[in-house]
Amino acid sequence: MLQNTAKGISIGRLMAAMTSAALLGACTPTPPAPESMARTTLQTAPADLQLLCANSAAGVAGPNAKVLPTASRQLPDGTFAVDLDAGGKKFSCVVDNNGTVRSVQPAQSG
Amino acid sequence: MMARDELPAKAKKTRRTRKLTAALIAAGVCIGPLAAWAQTQIYDSKTHTWVNYDKKKARQYYARNNQAPEAFRMQTVTFRTAEPPGTIIIDGNQHFLYLVQPGGQAIRYGIGVGREGFGWAGIVRVGRMAEWPTWTPPAEMVARDPNAAKWAAGMPGGPENPLGARALYLYEGDQDTIYRIHGTAEPWTIGLDVSSGCIRMNNNDITDLASRIKIGAKVIVLMQGAALYKGV
Repeated sequence: MLQNTAKGISIGRLMAAMTSAALLGACTPTPPAPESMARTTLQTAPADLQLLCANSAAGVAGPNAKVLPTASRQLPDGTFAVDLDAGGKKFSCVVDNNGTVRSVQPAQSG
Repeated sequence: MMARDELPAKAKKTRRTRKLTAALIAAGVCIGPLAAWAQTQIYDSKTHTWVNYDKKKARQYYARNNQAPEAFRMQTVTFRTAEPPGTIIIDGNQHFLYLVQPGGQAIRYGIGVGREGFGWAGIVRVGRMAEWPTWTPPAEMVARDPNAAKWAAGMPGGPENPLGARALYLYEGDQDTIYRIHGTAEPWTIGLDVSSGCIRMNNNDITDLASRIKIGAKVIVLMQGAALYKGV
């Protein structure tokens, strides 16, 4: 009987340890992929998404317009806003993570 | 009741000091976050946290590993763009240079870029390339940097030369912008804002990039908060 009690306690401890480990694992954030293990605190849109916006704005600004992204930021819904300069004309663009350009509009002045 | 103009000198001085302090705090709130915005961070797998990656940390990392952190090493990544293969895209904020490849991919390399006040953005092209180029510091660098001054007449190419193994000379039209994409004698600076406006890569990476591109390749430089290139 004493042996059975000791065995029960050991199994109980093992279960507790496993539960703790599982809980600890759940609390540890998933690390980023190795290629994503660097960033800057300035959270700009990925370069390819910025350029997709620039390409869309070129259609609005004119075929020979040099369109350059000048600033970008993530919006609360997860999409990115990109500010564009087309030879002095300013445009605002919204692009999502799938690379779909949601909108391109002349920027509001002031 | 005492009129405002009749306040004793001590009270006036105290009021001025308070106003100055408030102004400085306000300036600190506005300027502080701006100055901290561009801090590079790398993920520490041991502590599961993002840690600041500055010059000191970068030197230590390089001394331990003899290479930059994995994210700054050459690798192929997904890159959705309408730009043709062979186009170079520089994300100065995130310290990556992309060479567009067919099939929605790009080769990504880590870079070092211009420190605060020396960054720029624009659309230029590769005007020419050189192997182990001579470095001639521009006049303004000679004026402000004694180390550069001794090479005012030109530093021959070699491992100590700051241009490293290759230099891609960036032009706008037929005009040399004075900016280059080049190798480096300080490979631990990849991932940092350190240069005077040039884009630096480690020597193996710039050699690889130079072997893959053609003279005339389009170069798009993205850098939030930097001045747009308007010519020299």
